[in-house]
Amino acid sequence: MFRHGILEAILVVLCIVLAFTASGFLTPDNLLNVLRNVSMQGVIAFGMTMVIVAGEIDLSVGSAVAFGGCLTAFLTQKLTGEWLALPMPLAISISIVITLIVGYFVGTFTGLMRTRYQVPSFITTLALMTGLSGAAELITNGFPLTPFPSWYNYIGGGYLAGIPFPALIFLLTFIVLQVLMNHTAFGRSVYAVGGNAEAARLSGINVPRVKSMVLGITALLAALSGVMVSSEIMSGTPTTAKGWELDVIAAVIIGGTSLMGGVGRIWGTMVGVIFLGVIMNGMTLLNVSEYWQHVVRGAIILVAVLLNLLQKENSKS
Amino acid sequence: MTTPPHSLQTISLRKEYPGTVALNDVSVAFTGGKIHALIGKNGAGKSTLVKIIAGATRPTGGSILIDGKEAVLRSPHDALQRGIVAVHQELSLVPELSVAENILLGRLPEKKILGQSVIDWGAVFARAGEILRGLGVTIDVHAPAGMLGVAQQQSVEIAKAMSYNPSILILDEPTSALAQHETERLFAILKTLSTSGVVLLYITHRLQELKEIADTVTALRNGSLVGTIGIAEATPSTIVHMMFGETVQRARPTDLPAPTDPFLEVRSFSRRGAFQDVSFTLKRGEVLGIAGLLGSGRTELLRAIFGADPADGGELVIDGQHVKPERPEQMRDLGVALTPENRKDQGLVQLLSTRVNLCLASLSRAASRGFLTADREDVVVRKNVRELDITVANTNAPVAFLSGGNQQKVVVGKWLNTNPRLVLLDEPTRGIDVQAKQQMFQIIWDMSRRGIGCIVVSSELEELLDICHRILIMRQGRIIGDVRPGEITLENLFAVCMKEEV
Repeated sequence: MFRHGILEAILVVLCIVLAFTASGFLTPDNLLNVLRNVSMQGVIAFGMTMVIVAGEIDLSVGSAVAFGGCLTAFLTQKLTGEWLALPMPLAISISIVITLIVGYFVGTFTGLMRTRYQVPSFITTLALMTGLSGAAELITNGFPLTPFPSWYNYIGGGYLAGIPFPALIFLLTFIVLQVLMNHTAFGRSVYAVGGNAEAARLSGINVPRVKSMVLGITALLAALSGVMVSSEIMSGTPTTAKGWELDVIAAVIIGGTSLMGGVGRIWGTMVGVIFLGVIMNGMTLLNVSEYWQHVVRGAIILVAVLLNLLQKENSKS
Repeated sequence: MTTPPHSLQTISLRKEYPGTVALNDVSVAFTGGKIHALIGKNGAGKSTLVKIIAGATRPTGGSILIDGKEAVLRSPHDALQRGIVAVHQELSLVPELSVAENILLGRLPEKKILGQSVIDWGAVFARAGEILRGLGVTIDVHAPAGMLGVAQQQSVEIAKAMSYNPSILILDEPTSALAQHETERLFAILKTLSTSGVVLLYITHRLQELKEIADTVTALRNGSLVGTIGIAEATPSTIVHMMFGETVQRARPTDLPAPTDPFLEVRSFSRRGAFQDVSFTLKRGEVLGIAGLLGSGRTELLRAIFGADPADGGELVIDGQHVKPERPEQMRDLGVALTPENRKDQGLVQLLSTRVNLCLASLSRAASRGFLTADREDVVVRKNVRELDITVANTNAPVAFLSGGNQQKVVVGKWLNTNPRLVLLDEPTRGIDVQAKQQMFQIIWDMSRRGIGCIVVSSELEELLDICHRILIMRQGRIIGDVRPGEITLENLFAVCMKEEV
């Protein structure tokens, strides 16, 4: 729908420029590193795309990442000691599954508040942002939990066939959500609900269910991201992923998704995520100070939204 | 008052929207000191004319003369400056503010204290009280506007309008929310006003009011001026004639089946504040019209049958099965479809393509195990485009690009894809051109031939007479008549809707 190919073209030009100016940019190792760096925020960004297309927002994903990581660590600790003495692989598997399920239900809770009590998702997820962060502190007593064996590091830090494992999770999430949004009845409903909830309802689409499911899937992906982060840093740390919600929403918007709902593509978000990743990587290679990096990122978000709105103005007239 | 009466004249006033002429060279003159009623069906151009006079819309051509001098109105502000004030049907008071503040909103008198401008509250309440007394109404100027009843709020609206010292005052259906005695009070106010030389334009659907309030009656039809007559000449049949024109009974196809087999039974269906105790039966393949004015409960009835709004009492029997409609998807799965009154906001997702909109109500049917394939969709979409004769350049482009008539066909197509047994059509021909209307009739008749029952709500009574097997008449939320097109004339049908004997 939006700026077909323009963002992709800018990304290619950016890569070419960096290939000539930043030494070490155009190496397989560095490119795979970029992919690894974006993967943990990236998996959430695909879900966030659905949420924003459906006309909602989720501000709690950063805290959900921290909470997810801590919950996995907490459960692993309990299941291998205090409560039960399960073997480590089984305990970790159960912990991860429970974490993902809890994540999904946290998201559907936001959906329930939205659809049954008309609480805007903006408010519920703002509350959850604080609440989940507090819950992470509570179950960890504010300190990192480190119950994991060394092999656990594979999920967030390992390689499969030369490709970082988290990057593979990222790509797999992309494929699943790309198919879900473009080739299923459910994906169609998401666009319809975000484009015009009343028309969707009068077409026999179950609007509350669609909204709850996209919020649920996104919170599940945030919990998955939390598992990946806990594996990378080998602990459940309540202070991780602070402010991620903004990075994630930025990538989605840069990818052309409209904050008004109804318009957006999973592929666009893929490009948005990689675009931000390449910019950050390039600036690091060029020794741009971290302070400048923040300023540049802010400017990019603003320009992207502006382009998005200008585009809409043009198509109106 | 010694000032000469004001006057308002339009010369060849014209307004075109892409694809339609909303106002077609209307030249009309209104003089002060009289109350001029403006009548016409929905979409006749009344509101376009009012919007242009009030500066809210700019005309495509023609001019407006105020007191004999040409006036160019670029904005509502311009119009206010020239003394043109419009009171719209929807009240626009700020409920939290006092009556006085509402009346003088944006123009609160000020005074200087220590060189600073502050609001002169004493003057605010005094001035507002003075205006209200001038209208002969007693309302506490300190009370929050939200605490007042509708009639009193209406009075405050008029007081607000009066505070501009209007030379031209336009009232758009001011009595639609008023009880009888409140209406009488409003009329008294308007008569007082008219003696001061103000041009009063009064838009109404309640034709029985005309005799009481109006001095002249001006009718618009399809954007053109029909004419102006004095109230003495305005008999109900003249008025109906002016609004509807010469209507030719269109030949109904002869091959329409005579329905015999009952399909839907509505049993003492009620929804508080919308309709009460509605019961009727619809046969398979029957085209049933519902005639009634805006606000008669007809739209609410269709929505409740479809499960879009909950009913408070009663039930449906569909094909022998007892049903309480709760959600649209439940009714869709029972073979019920609704093409809503407002197709732009409720019938279609404008952002999405024609193709996606066509498949929207039948997603689970089109998908296999939840997955959609382009091939299966193509078949459905091509069939819709061909059978409904939808003019569309690219089915993958947003449906917003289509004309009104084609958009309506997309809404109908969306529901035909669900294999419905009962289609509820709310104003299916509103805002579409003559050819598209004729096609819409064909589509309805085709559905009838296939045994699909249709309930058609329309303000176009002559259309109902043309297309329906049978017509129910609704007034104030109740069904008050059940007629066959051959047995009633348009004038009589209209009169029954209006509760008036011809």
